[in-house]
Amino acid sequence: MSDPERVQKYLQQSHDKIFESNRKWAEEQKAKNPEFFEKLSAGQSPEYLWIGCSDSRIPAEAITGLGPGEMFIHRNIANLVCNTDLNVMSVVNYAVRHLKVKHIVVCGHYGCGGVKAAMTPQDLGLLNPWLRNIRDVYRLHEDELDTIKEDGPRYDRLVELNVMEQARNVIKTAAIQQAYKRDGFPIVHAWVFGFNDGLLKDLKLDFESELAKIQKIYNLPS
Amino acid sequence: MASYQDPLDRIVAGNRVYAQHTTEQDPTAFVELSKGQAPEILWIGCADSRVPETTVCNCRPGDIFVHRNIANTVHADDLNAASVVEYAVAFLKVRKVVVCGHTKCGGAVASLGDADLGVTLNTWLHPVRELRRKHKTELERLLDDDARAVRVAELNVHQSLDVLKQHPAIKKAINERGLSLHGLIYDIGQGQLRLLEETSSKKSNGLWSPN
Repeated sequence: MSDPERVQKYLQQSHDKIFESNRKWAEEQKAKNPEFFEKLSAGQSPEYLWIGCSDSRIPAEAITGLGPGEMFIHRNIANLVCNTDLNVMSVVNYAVRHLKVKHIVVCGHYGCGGVKAAMTPQDLGLLNPWLRNIRDVYRLHEDELDTIKEDGPRYDRLVELNVMEQARNVIKTAAIQQAYKRDGFPIVHAWVFGFNDGLLKDLKLDFESELAKIQKIYNLPS
Repeated sequence: MASYQDPLDRIVAGNRVYAQHTTEQDPTAFVELSKGQAPEILWIGCADSRVPETTVCNCRPGDIFVHRNIANTVHADDLNAASVVEYAVAFLKVRKVVVCGHTKCGGAVASLGDADLGVTLNTWLHPVRELRRKHKTELERLLDDDARAVRVAELNVHQSLDVLKQHPAIKKAINERGLSLHGLIYDIGQGQLRLLEETSSKKSNGLWSPN
């Protein structure tokens, strides 16, 4: 078989795999609970909004043991929350104002390719403006990061600091500040996922005190 | 799953179970995942909690690179989605890009009318509402709003695919290594994916013809 043919066949197989898997999954769910899909059809009321990395190794619902209908999800390169990004801001708005989620989790992960790429001394074209936000996080924490001599641990710390900074960016929004004032939720969390053990690490962002600090400058409560 | 008072306890406990199960089934699973990712598929889907891509496709961590936003919409001027595409296509070299819409989509339903959703969401959904206006005649012929929302979701998937085809990394990968793009609709009431026929190629010049 010639190479293009083999490639074509391979592409078809990897494509069909998804549909086969999906049919298998749907049958399993129906066998377990015949009304499973009917109930989902009625609507969603997730308790959580997850803002995570696009990285294929961190399917949010799978690593938290949640099923369909339980977690509203936005995933982008390096789990960034940029104030001028209409995409993430629409997700936050919808999740907070319409779905009234209780928790917002910003979750990064060690070994993040986006964070590493951002610190690479190289022109990455289209990715430059997006990854620039990570360099800005580095600049905010330059003194601390510069004391870490080895690359690996320094990247890992930057991953943590980036998550904290993005969680702050969520707290800076009017949607969060107004909902929290009215309802006492949502609460914003900063977590990191580690591939070495598959566990989530809570960076212990103190939401109340962080909100108070942020509102000194970014105060939009009404 | 056991019931928890605090929803946060639930997912933290869920994660422990996940980590334990994964290691029990394959003691080297996390060692392998630590090495890197080589997903074959970029999935652009809706943020809707009922369409978790890895679960509904019965896939494993590492299989699918993911961007999810409100109504799986790709805007030409959106740096967020464009960066995901650039990373997935130019660096990870995924073989397939899929855009997956779904039935019962809140964004599609909202796009059937012009209710004020606040300036952020109004702006984000504007292109989807424009689709509704463009395809007014076809949509009016449909039985009910459920059917109209599904059709708007389909049209929106095609529109996102058209925008993606203009992305420089995608153009290059289509020509150089046979990357392909596909539209899907996930039926929430059935739990099943449906592949959309390739109908948008004729319209890639940006012209629109009324139905």
